[in-house]
Amino acid sequence: MSAPLQTIRNKQPFDAGRAAYLTLNGLLLAFLLAPIAIVLAFALNPTPYISFPPVGVSLRWFEKFFRTPEFTNALLLSLWIAGCVLVLSIVIGGACALALARGNLPGRSFLTAFFMSPLMLPAILTGLALFQSYLLVGIGRPVWGLILAHTLVAVPYVIRTTLAVLHNFDRRIEEAAAVLGASPTRVFFEVTLPLIRPGVFAGGVFAFIVSFDQFPVSLFLVVPKGETLPVVLFNYMKFDLDGAIAAASMVSILLALSVVLVLERLIGLKAYVKL
Amino acid sequence: MTSATIRLDDVTKTFDGRVLAVDGVTLDIAAGEFFSLLGPSGCGKTTSLRMIAGFELPDSGRVHVAGRDITDLPVHKRDMGMVFQSYALFPHRTVAENVAFGLRMREVPKPDIERRVKAALAQVALTGLEERKPGQLSGGQQQRVALARALVVEPPVLLCDEPLGALDRKLRQQMQFELKELQKRLGVTLVFVTHDQEEALAMSDRIAVMNHGKVEQVGAPTEIYERPRTRFVADFIGEINILEEAGRARALRPEKIRLVPPAEARVAGTIETANFLGGSTLYRIRAADGRTLLTRETHAGERSPRAPGDPVGLAWSDSDAVALEA
Amino acid sequence: MISRRTLLGTSAVAAATLAAPSILHAQAKTLKITTWGGKWGEIMKATVLPAFEKEFKCTVSADQAFPYVPKLQASPKNDPLYDVLHTNSNEQWNCFTEGLVMQKITAKEAPNVADVYPWAVSDKIVGVAIFTSAIGLGFRTDKGLAKPTSWKDLADPKLAGARGSYIIPVNSLGQCHLMMLGKIYGKGLQDLDAAYKALEQLKPIKLVDFTGQMEKMLLSGEVSMGVIHDSGVYRYDGQNQPVDFASPSEGVMALEQVLNVTPGSKVKELAFGYIDYMLRPDTQKLLAEGVWYSPANKKVKLDAKYDAKLLTTEAKVATLIQPDWKWYNARKEDIDARVTKILKG
Ligand SMILES: Nc1ncnc2c1ncn2[C@@H]1O[C@H](COP(=O)(O)OP(=O)(O)OP(=O)(O)O)[C@@H](O)[C@H]1O
Ligand SMILES: [Mg+2]
Repeated sequence: MSAPLQTIRNKQPFDAGRAAYLTLNGLLLAFLLAPIAIVLAFALNPTPYISFPPVGVSLRWFEKFFRTPEFTNALLLSLWIAGCVLVLSIVIGGACALALARGNLPGRSFLTAFFMSPLMLPAILTGLALFQSYLLVGIGRPVWGLILAHTLVAVPYVIRTTLAVLHNFDRRIEEAAAVLGASPTRVFFEVTLPLIRPGVFAGGVFAFIVSFDQFPVSLFLVVPKGETLPVVLFNYMKFDLDGAIAAASMVSILLALSVVLVLERLIGLKAYVKL
Repeated sequence: MTSATIRLDDVTKTFDGRVLAVDGVTLDIAAGEFFSLLGPSGCGKTTSLRMIAGFELPDSGRVHVAGRDITDLPVHKRDMGMVFQSYALFPHRTVAENVAFGLRMREVPKPDIERRVKAALAQVALTGLEERKPGQLSGGQQQRVALARALVVEPPVLLCDEPLGALDRKLRQQMQFELKELQKRLGVTLVFVTHDQEEALAMSDRIAVMNHGKVEQVGAPTEIYERPRTRFVADFIGEINILEEAGRARALRPEKIRLVPPAEARVAGTIETANFLGGSTLYRIRAADGRTLLTRETHAGERSPRAPGDPVGLAWSDSDAVALEA
Repeated sequence: MISRRTLLGTSAVAAATLAAPSILHAQAKTLKITTWGGKWGEIMKATVLPAFEKEFKCTVSADQAFPYVPKLQASPKNDPLYDVLHTNSNEQWNCFTEGLVMQKITAKEAPNVADVYPWAVSDKIVGVAIFTSAIGLGFRTDKGLAKPTSWKDLADPKLAGARGSYIIPVNSLGQCHLMMLGKIYGKGLQDLDAAYKALEQLKPIKLVDFTGQMEKMLLSGEVSMGVIHDSGVYRYDGQNQPVDFASPSEGVMALEQVLNVTPGSKVKELAFGYIDYMLRPDTQKLLAEGVWYSPANKKVKLDAKYDAKLLTTEAKVATLIQPDWKWYNARKEDIDARVTKILKG
């Protein structure tokens, strides 16, 4: 089958436009990936200070990272918090987006703007405001307070991606299900939910990363022995500026990447592109 | 398969308190009938159909199916089939899952579902495509899946909103035959929305011609074609000559006008244009009194001998000129 | 995707974490403090704090996450976030002006205060200082440089682009350096005009914001001579690094580690107890030798290696110059604006 196809395929003439396009793409990609490459170089470089060019390759900073309980505990805490934020913001953000798109609420555009507002508010203010309100209410700074704070800044991402899907949603599909005998609840679970899921989960991935990387909101809300990874890294940097920071960054990047990949596998984020 | 009567009883629907989409429509559709709603864009066909399906609640008037008032019954309890213009297939489900959906909602046992899905897909000649997703089908195939999905639950009523509108002409004609044939075989009551008069004439048992939310005329295709009651109906269906005689409008189909020698003519004139249509030719004739009239002449085989500029005489019988309501 | 079970599990854990702090409260008094990270934090967590908790039958909640002062400012005064605040001297002064910390810790509250050097309780200190570092000049020993003897050596034209200091608005070592420039090139620590002029002369100069960065700049050779605290250099003692520390003849600036108690603290006795504990000779020795800080307590006997380098005698202590942070903080904004302009040009 393929052999004759290949023989009859026309030779592509050299196309300057296409070459320029590919070069540009290549450059952009290099621009985006260069910082990661630099961090990796620092993480593998054995000297206790950041030296350029790197003098060798060693895993000592990765070893230090994984052998330091402060780092590993913070990493686990950050993962756990980001996981909770993922779940919470999917549920809250998905519900909000549905209400905004479908609810026939009065002042819908105002509400949309309102729900998006944490995206516009400097996160450090969100953190400070929550810190003060928690202390005022007298609940201290429990982990769930931190989760709540992260959720607050993460939910708009889910609302956004879900609204985008709902915007292009053909409601006839839901009507078709209803005529076929599906009650409104069944329509929601059989049709609406599966179809908006890619949007919700794409937002969820953002939410996860927003939480996992969150520094300004966490700054005021972490408690002693309950510091998230970005906060621990920041404080570590003030006293020991060595490759462990770079190793931690690499570990974070890889973890975030694997979460995205796993979610992609599980629910097919690609479908989002198709919708 | 069962079928049911449908009755719309003085149904009215307004949108946003301003747009009068359906205005006092009363229709009686017999069980097993192929019934078309025909009319120009925006005349209220879809809205009427959606009130039968239950997507819209009429402002006033009642909807009955099989003698039962279902006006307040929610959509999912109405037990109808519906085919949408956009097909509205579930994009995340396979062809088989799409077709099985209604059966699942009715809690049909699994083995029965499989059997009936298979049969329904065979009925629309889609065997072998069970595992495809809708996105991997052609427009015609999607249309058939939509049809199979609607029919597999054996609904007494099938509602179709311009189901063939997205197909090309050839495929469309083929589907017209198939749909008509299927409907007769199953005996289902079919309400068919279209703005294509040829399609309505070709397929329907009866047609309701709608205009501005009102029903202008209901009748069999021949009746609608040959005995239009209003100027709108006469004008909307096919070519027509409107004759103003003694303050009364009469409609005369072009093919009812004969071309005769000038001596026998009721009106004399000259051919202005001649449109060759294959089996017939449509002439536009400038009459001596200044009117323009259309006539159609069928001819077998060779081309019509007449050409623009030729003098002709026109004749028709009074019984063919249908008086229209004022 | 998210099963009901995981959701239930999540909420169960959330409920557990919610309940946990109140259980701790019921068991023992909690002392809330701030403390440094790095090596200091390791010693505190591994040795000092556990021993203190055992002796005083309490729990210590040690915050190692910056920024302490804004967090303290944002918390209610009658129920402050910390009982003991550990910062450098300049921040203590800020807190003191806002009424967030006490003015002095005396021997009445913490008996060991009776044994400290005068600098630890001088009029330049609010609370009590428990250690100090000496800010002087760090330099590479492999660049053919003579050991600097004066702050003026940093202005050597040979060092253009290879000298280092700090971003003055954000780093107190940079601020100390600025005051020192006023003293050497002008009429004294508060002669800002002379200091600005001298700063101008130091360009080009490499500036860092974190104190720890200067060590790395020296280690990597990016900077051949820079303003640094002695502990930042001495900590590489015995590691064969070509760096050393010099105390200029004009004196070294003090970088004090200060402890203080918040007036609203609910466990003041425990807080004073903690400060007293930190001033005990054995605690002082442990930490001084761990991070190369000069102890405040006169009675501490350090091992010879440390004794040789740290400020452990009246004579050595006399070289310490303590900045007047109250004075500096009052005009910080003007100074920031001015130096930013100087260093940008
Ligand atoms: N949901 C709605 N909101 C407001 N106006 C509507 C709505 N649905 C229909 N209309 C209006 O009601 C009128 C009838 O619409 P309908 O869709 O029934 O027409 P139609 O005969 O099906 O036309 P077409 O052939 O274009 O599909 C139109 O003027 C339309 O704009
Ligand atoms: Mg329509």
